[in-house]
Amino acid sequence: MTHITTELPKPEPHRAVLLWRRFARNRAALLGLGIFVVVLIMAATAGLIEPTDPLRRAGVPLTKPFVDWATPLGTDQLGRDILASLFYGARISLLVGVLATLLSIAIGVVIGAVSGYFGGWIDDVLMRTTEAFQTIPNFVLLLALVAILGSSIEYITVAIAIVSWTAPARMVRAEFMSLRGREFVDAARNLGVSNTAIIFREILPNALPPIVVYASVIMALSILLESALAFLGLGDPNHASWGNMIGQGRAVLRSDWYCAAIPGTAIILTVLSFSLLGEGLNDALNPRQKK
Amino acid sequence: MTGNTPVLEIKGLRIALPKGADRPFALDGLDLTVNPGEIVCLVGESGSGKSLTAGAIMRLLPEPHVYVADGAIRFEGEDLLALSEARMKAIRGDRIAQIFQEPMTALNPQKSVGWQLDEVLRLHTELGKTDRKARVIEMLERVKIPDPASAYNAYPHQISGGQRQRVMIAMALSLSPRLIIADEPTTALDVTTQLQILRLIRELQEQDGAGVLFITHDFGVVAEIADKVAVLCKGELVEQGPAQEVLNRPQHAYTQALIAAIPALTPPAPRDFTGAPVVLEAKGLVKTFAARGGMFSGKRKAVKAVSDLSFVLRRGETLGVVGESGSGKTTVSRIVTRLLESDTGSVTVEGTDLLACSPRELRRMRQYIQMVFQDPMASLNPRKRVEALIAQGPIVHGVDPKEARERARKLLELVELSPAAASRFPHEFSGGQRQRIGIARALAMEPRVIVADEPVSALDVSVQAQVLKLLGDLRDRLDLSLLFVTHDLRVAAQLCDRLIVMQKGEIVETGVTAEIFADPQHPYTRKLLDSIPGRGWTPPVICPDAA
Repeated sequence: MTHITTELPKPEPHRAVLLWRRFARNRAALLGLGIFVVVLIMAATAGLIEPTDPLRRAGVPLTKPFVDWATPLGTDQLGRDILASLFYGARISLLVGVLATLLSIAIGVVIGAVSGYFGGWIDDVLMRTTEAFQTIPNFVLLLALVAILGSSIEYITVAIAIVSWTAPARMVRAEFMSLRGREFVDAARNLGVSNTAIIFREILPNALPPIVVYASVIMALSILLESALAFLGLGDPNHASWGNMIGQGRAVLRSDWYCAAIPGTAIILTVLSFSLLGEGLNDALNPRQKK
Repeated sequence: MTGNTPVLEIKGLRIALPKGADRPFALDGLDLTVNPGEIVCLVGESGSGKSLTAGAIMRLLPEPHVYVADGAIRFEGEDLLALSEARMKAIRGDRIAQIFQEPMTALNPQKSVGWQLDEVLRLHTELGKTDRKARVIEMLERVKIPDPASAYNAYPHQISGGQRQRVMIAMALSLSPRLIIADEPTTALDVTTQLQILRLIRELQEQDGAGVLFITHDFGVVAEIADKVAVLCKGELVEQGPAQEVLNRPQHAYTQALIAAIPALTPPAPRDFTGAPVVLEAKGLVKTFAARGGMFSGKRKAVKAVSDLSFVLRRGETLGVVGESGSGKTTVSRIVTRLLESDTGSVTVEGTDLLACSPRELRRMRQYIQMVFQDPMASLNPRKRVEALIAQGPIVHGVDPKEARERARKLLELVELSPAAASRFPHEFSGGQRQRIGIARALAMEPRVIVADEPVSALDVSVQAQVLKLLGDLRDRLDLSLLFVTHDLRVAAQLCDRLIVMQKGEIVETGVTAEIFADPQHPYTRKLLDSIPGRGWTPPVICPDAA
């Protein structure tokens, strides 16, 4: 034989480097990452840069922004500092977003994986249950749950997770159904690997990319859901959240619009950043889908 | 030369690849001429640029990433590269037709066969509705589809693979094109169907006097059909000439290597295994596939994949299971390894019936019987490093992880890969290298039996030969028994001591390979042997030059 085929090609750069290169190719994704980092810094530095308690009176009620430098973004009708609320609100919004997302993805992955891997009656039972959840409008179910559980921030997070696990479950199930027939799964079974290990060590890492991308959508949705709850006055009154701020600003919307507009803008930007991030992750993790 | 203008003339064609590809030009300076009534075979291994040639002629390259950088393509004297898109559209399908590899994906599953053939005529001719229908039926008759009238109303999934390819040919020929580009048209088909389709293409082309550019990787097919042969290697034309010349007296080293890699149809000398201990015994295996209905709907019709199959495998022996698609040979390999549950029967390994094992026992038993899969890309978890892939089995069975990884490195050496491969991911390897990893993974368990399900079907010929040789060497060195499932009789002839010939789930013939090849008893076996492409041509024994 003239050419020997056992020579190896050049080694590839590390996986993380490749991922970052593909991610950075998308300008919008970089913008999303930028906004996200800003929100993250706000959440991390709440209480440091702006030492006032967001729930305490900081100045004359309804001071307009950029008038008094003690309260740079003005105050609401109770005289609370809007900038401080914004910083603390970032913390709550991110906390709710991240925890609710993790929880809902965890539920979704387990149910979807078991359903998709085993199939048969297990799949039937689990999917009919999922559909039962899906038929109830998200927000109505959320309101009902909060009414039952009470509106402390922990319960709100759990309730948001309970209403949003169905979509990831269906997605994971679809991934598992297509992956379980692949030969590498047969190969693992043939080595004597147990079902649990096949599900979580063999198939799950291959099913993860679309889930990670979808997580950014759930994150944005959870922040919106929490804000919507707070807007209706069902949020946790002990925490300054963006939704709470809008809900209270609504009363003075015609005279002092900025009370609602500032946290509103913060929500829009945060949700936008997640959606852009999601798109960038999609480019980075599923490079073959495009082009 | 017949004196009239060639149908297709390619001069100095260069196709540029995007930056970062393994080479700057997919094709570099291709010269090719197809005369009327001539079949020119363009041969090369995967990645040689043969399919891009077809794309360039049809002007269907994925521009702007891949584009024609230089050269001329003249169709009946007309420069195709200079034509407007509208003019090109009129030529495509009308005067140049293409037959694709996979007829299922090339046909629209939503439309009936008749509708799709009718569409071609509707777009390119002025014929009325009844004329068109008559013409379609006539075309279906010409490609010898049984009962053309009913095929007219059938949907693509309702007819067999061979018939779908006939429909594609009917579609390509319905406008009497001057040039037909056939891109691996028989690769997805069974041998017996392949032979029929090759004969059909030859026959129709002779009637119409069209030129055919036939793209293939298979020298057997070339021997069957070609007038002229052009051999491509990594985008360069290395050899061109009349078929007999190239096949029997190849000049270029690459062509010689390719032809030398083709497995000869001479089975190994029979070895005697009567004294060797039986390592695997299968008895009365039956498998029927019952299609699962919905929650409330009833069961659908069951399909019998394997009925009453028994065989023994002795130590050091290689037993080949051959048959066409749908013969149940893959089902056999999955039942024996219990990836599929058999309805009845027993598979005895090491004195234990594998099919009666509890899940726990089964996991322990798996170390005795390992598998090498068909598609090395699909059978290696893309998220795992090679070392982890090979060491996984032993670790599951209680070997210390550190020791298992060390052994994995040694196994890489055994399958002739550099130890540097250990820390790479599967996608960083070529097909042949991946299959070596697959073999190393099977060997890591130190099995008694290896079940190989079409282990070389996805590989190029030259790589095929190397992997087969490796399997044979390892079998002899480690005293392994192989159950070798394949559709390719040439491959089976290389390695197998005995053969089982299967048809529709049943064994029609079994015996020593050499005897079956010399004197097949069953008509089906005879048909299979007669259908091997290029069976009349014995690859020349090439003495390597001074090189």
